[in-house]
Amino acid sequence: MQIIPAIDVLDGSVVRLKQGQYDQVTTYESDPVLLAKKAEQEGAQCLHLVNLSGARQGGIDPAFLDLISRITSATNLRLQVGGGIRSLEDIQSLIEAGVQRCVIGSLFFTNQDVVRQAVDLYGSERFVIALDQRDGSVQINGWEEDTQVKLEEAIDQVIACGIRQILVTDISRDGMRTGPSLALYCMLVRQYPGLQVTASGGVRNQSDLDALCRAGSRAAVVGTAFLEGDVSLRGRLPVRIIPCLDVKDGRTVKGTSFQNLRDAGDPVELAKIYADQGADELVFLDIAATNESRKTMCDLVSQIADAINIPFTVGGGVQSAVDARMLLSAGADKISINSAAVKDPNLIDKIAATIGSTNLVVAIDVALSWFDSAHHDNADMIDNVSSRAESRDEYWRVLINGGTKGTDLDAIQWAQEAVERGAGELLITSFDRDGTGEGFDCKLLRSIKEKVNVPVIASGGAGSLQDFIDAAELGDADAVLAATVFHYGHLSIKQVKESLLEANTPVRL
Amino acid sequence: MIGIISTGIGNIRSVQCSLQRLGIACAVLSNPTQAAPCTGLILPGAGAAGAGMEVLQASGWDQLLQEWNRPLLGICLGMQLLFDTSEEADTACLGLIAGEVRKMPKVQIGWNQICETSNPKPQTSKNQSVYFINSYACFPSDASVITQTTTFASQQICAGVQSGNLWGVQWHPEKSGEFGNAYLLSFAQSCR
Repeated sequence: MQIIPAIDVLDGSVVRLKQGQYDQVTTYESDPVLLAKKAEQEGAQCLHLVNLSGARQGGIDPAFLDLISRITSATNLRLQVGGGIRSLEDIQSLIEAGVQRCVIGSLFFTNQDVVRQAVDLYGSERFVIALDQRDGSVQINGWEEDTQVKLEEAIDQVIACGIRQILVTDISRDGMRTGPSLALYCMLVRQYPGLQVTASGGVRNQSDLDALCRAGSRAAVVGTAFLEGDVSLRGRLPVRIIPCLDVKDGRTVKGTSFQNLRDAGDPVELAKIYADQGADELVFLDIAATNESRKTMCDLVSQIADAINIPFTVGGGVQSAVDARMLLSAGADKISINSAAVKDPNLIDKIAATIGSTNLVVAIDVALSWFDSAHHDNADMIDNVSSRAESRDEYWRVLINGGTKGTDLDAIQWAQEAVERGAGELLITSFDRDGTGEGFDCKLLRSIKEKVNVPVIASGGAGSLQDFIDAAELGDADAVLAATVFHYGHLSIKQVKESLLEANTPVRL
Repeated sequence: MIGIISTGIGNIRSVQCSLQRLGIACAVLSNPTQAAPCTGLILPGAGAAGAGMEVLQASGWDQLLQEWNRPLLGICLGMQLLFDTSEEADTACLGLIAGEVRKMPKVQIGWNQICETSNPKPQTSKNQSVYFINSYACFPSDASVITQTTTFASQQICAGVQSGNLWGVQWHPEKSGEFGNAYLLSFAQSCR
């Protein structure tokens, strides 16, 4: 969940109104630009700026536009701005001044045609509809006018306009610091899974934010608690985007479900390209994983370490602490182990003791119903699994040897055991999804995340931009790994990061 | 020339590669007798504090570092070893900077923004994301040595220190892109 600090500006000063009333003003002794800088330093990536003067008078004045340009030149914050937007010209002037998202309130109820035109002109992702509700009906014009429109009806209208983002404020909670309306946000998230709901109003402290996050809110606007310094603006660490390079005989390969390999280039060249494009980390998997290939891999690792200055993980065929140490000395940052750990779980303890937990990734290949795949080699186990799959809707099973062999291990239990034994991070590949482009297995990811306290890397199934967002938000993944979509240029790292940012998921830019 | 102290494990090679890419002369040192021609030293580190101190003591680095008055940069575990003690297996460290090293509530792996306090080196205008991989953090007794902080798991953590000839960063400049390069260059300049 992204935490968005709010700065309300009235006649150039930072203020807070109690329940939207202009006669109940608290003025803060700070310059809005300095406050924006402070917010950025504290970890904010987005700023919610409210033009209270504009909201009162209607329209956007030049002084406010000037403030926007001062904030955009002093910080890298993305701005979402509301208050006083009454016409297409107002929207245009804000977007030209550098605003990423316009927060539309009253205008949506007084002149929806203008909003539709603006969506056509600038794209729906530029707009958030502010729904300020009191007792279930939406209020406008500084909360002085009741539209008599029910919240649900209003949301239907938002969806009809093609807009996916709503900012819902419970007026009775705003500025009162009584805690957010959790039931309201829970209901909205359940009822409208396709919408991004930003919660606003009532946040007092970290536990309110945690509760909103659990309620499924994508973002929370924090006003007074930010001004008073009661919350940390840093939600989660930026979600890491990790291109994965499968390597065989010193070349990169990738195919559907680890078969039908295609050649996608020289690993060192690719590594450099990805590092320049903004990849946060890289993973190299030696898919041949033989004794001879391990030597080749060591040479390759040292070439990669020469070429790039971002972290990278190496896996495939690591059988012992000696192997791990050798790859680390060659310049790898983290070592990943997979089948060898399943066959001898003590290997995790041994490697962790040698190279440290934080440098050890345990990779787990998982299938929900692997008997559907063509890779099984054990007829007895097929029967065994199918009976268990019937008795349990979802039963994730660990696969080994590059997905060619099933085991009796429950993936979630194995993940927990791996962490207890010293895994510093988990790389979870859904074998059902790998190479299909059908999206990550978010249920699997979340089930594991709920049980462990180490970072989880999602892998297997990346196809669209939305898949990355889902892995990070629905799957709660700390990092998202993909190969095909990057190697063949279907998606760029920049595109993925921008779309995550649009979806209020923090990324490193 | 900058000497990189070999602790036997970890990211020594990455540090060496980074310096080489930046055109900074460097050498990996396996024992303290090789330090004499060095204008500065880097103590890199990955792994456990206890194992790290054992390596330093076995090869006599601990003695040399006590007397070293040219610039010294500790990276990650290397920074932690500059302090008095570490909670990790209750290890007595080098004691060059007053303070202790404590376990964090959870492991930090990934890019996090750092916030520079007064008098940072190098000078930067905007915030920077750098790569962290740590489960322990430093708590200097004298807060004025802190040059950088970061926030993780709702806690403010010391990300960088400077005290006399001693430099330390909890993050990995050799893995942190352009900002990491700038930091290493700035250290190299102080080694002249």
